[in-house]
Amino acid sequence: MKRISWIDIAGGIVVVAILALAPVFAASNYLTGVLTVCVIYGIWASSWDFMSGLTGRENFGHSLFIGAGAYTAGFMATIWFTNPWYSIPASIVVAVTFSLIVGFPTLRLRGPYFALAMLSASAILQRLCLIFWEYTGGEEGLYGLDPMMRSPLHYYWFVLAILVVTVIILTLLARSHWGLLLRAIRGDEATCQAAGINVTFYKIAALAISAAFAGLGGALYAHYQLQVSPPLFSVVTSITVIIMCYVGGIGSIYGAAIAAILLTLLTEMLRGFGEYRLWIYTLTLILILFFLPNGMVAPFWRRLTERFR
Amino acid sequence: MLQILIYGAVSSAIYAMLAAGFTLIFGVARILNLAHGSFYALGAYAAYVLTSVLNFPLFIAAPLAVLFVALFGVVMERFLVRPLRSSQLAVLMITLAVSLAVEQALFIIFGSEYRNVPSFVAEKLTIGGVDIGGQRLLALVMGVLVLLLLWLFIQRTRLGAAILAVSQDPEAAQYMGIPTNRIFSIVMAISAGTAALAGVLVSPFLTVQPTMGLLPMVKAFAIVIVGGLGSIPGSIIASLILGYSETIVAYLISTSWTELVSLVAVVITLMIRPSGILGRRAAF
Repeated sequence: MKRISWIDIAGGIVVVAILALAPVFAASNYLTGVLTVCVIYGIWASSWDFMSGLTGRENFGHSLFIGAGAYTAGFMATIWFTNPWYSIPASIVVAVTFSLIVGFPTLRLRGPYFALAMLSASAILQRLCLIFWEYTGGEEGLYGLDPMMRSPLHYYWFVLAILVVTVIILTLLARSHWGLLLRAIRGDEATCQAAGINVTFYKIAALAISAAFAGLGGALYAHYQLQVSPPLFSVVTSITVIIMCYVGGIGSIYGAAIAAILLTLLTEMLRGFGEYRLWIYTLTLILILFFLPNGMVAPFWRRLTERFR
Repeated sequence: MLQILIYGAVSSAIYAMLAAGFTLIFGVARILNLAHGSFYALGAYAAYVLTSVLNFPLFIAAPLAVLFVALFGVVMERFLVRPLRSSQLAVLMITLAVSLAVEQALFIIFGSEYRNVPSFVAEKLTIGGVDIGGQRLLALVMGVLVLLLLWLFIQRTRLGAAILAVSQDPEAAQYMGIPTNRIFSIVMAISAGTAALAGVLVSPFLTVQPTMGLLPMVKAFAIVIVGGLGSIPGSIIASLILGYSETIVAYLISTSWTELVSLVAVVITLMIRPSGILGRRAAF
């Protein structure tokens, strides 16, 4: 496998340093809050990219895992009043369980079944959340979660550390023998099967890993917002994540994380446009799809550092 | 009992209209159109604007609304989908972006409150002791009629034969002198038009609001998976199964559980017969 070049590591350290120090210098709670959300989106986007970017199976219901993780944290906090730290393992377990339930019947198949099934599953779970409002709090969602840490700044650093660990783990996996197999599946599934590779196993395992990190991100989000509500399950959440991966450059993982941070900052800046915000966002997406079909962040970085490799 | 029979038939007919268009454009052009639900919503809103704002009589407003949405579908296919057709993900993303843009545009123009569309038929009918709104009955009749016409069109006309040929092998069809791209436009118009007609027909008795397209579209996905991707007869059978099971569940248990029916149906289908009831590689 190709070694990771020093320039990538240096670039990564610079980006993480800027992210870690920005709230210290700006000394504004608002910025810390925005950046926390940015970084959580980074976790969601890189987890999507690991499964869908590598295997080419577009997951149109990533919000299913995000919401499952967040609601697990919500239930733990409001029904069993557990320590917030227990939400992390619990949300991972629940998200992985959901991924196995949806993955087993759909990932055996070729064609668009997986995309459709994930989209439907997340939409239906959102409906169920509204229907069983006695337990889930309906539109209002669940309130009164405890923060994991007192200081917002410390929590931001904690979440940032988790993003860094996520990106490192997923990149290492993607560059290993394992990731090579996943990429091969994207290229030609039939040939992989003929070569004796258990294609279904690898796809389901990749989905479970992706779901684990998405669920973890969901729990972190829940303990940052201190509440969970049905829009977490919505198709819009999934789409936002997919757009981030697309802008980052599909299959690059670090690109997805950086694009997530940039795009979340962009949406924050567009807040002044009020109701036109999402509209501008989707129009931007259409333009990017047309003019930069390979995405922005990863290709840009590759071109920038070409000379140093 | 009779009530289940009639109401089940009405929802089946509406689902079938949505699912048939969705499966048609997939079967012929291999476009997985995630904007299908927005055609349905656009149809309902077009009917609202034409009747309540511009005061058109209904029987003129309805065909105008359908035509408008069919045109919208053709323009979307020609200028947004066709340049990106080489990549499946790009097609999914662009149709999804269109559906989000439509939903947001409806929010901005009309707001999130419910809109009312006048009924085509006001009087209630009583069949075997069951009261049923004339509008629902009209939706049922129109649905059956449209599907019948669609079937005749595809099986009996020259153009229909061309559509079948493209669905079986686009390249071979092109070599035989069939203008594939024009066929895609025609199929897109039919697909968008039937979805819009479903939207127009339900608009008087369901709520008209910007997000109304999402759930019916999810149901259409489920039906298409159960019936077999690309098969119109399969999607009609699946619509009947799903429409009736939902009505039965609503009567026996509670309306809350109806949403689960389609999910369970999808999971069972994918486990025991992944290609769906009538699914094959070829479209029909």
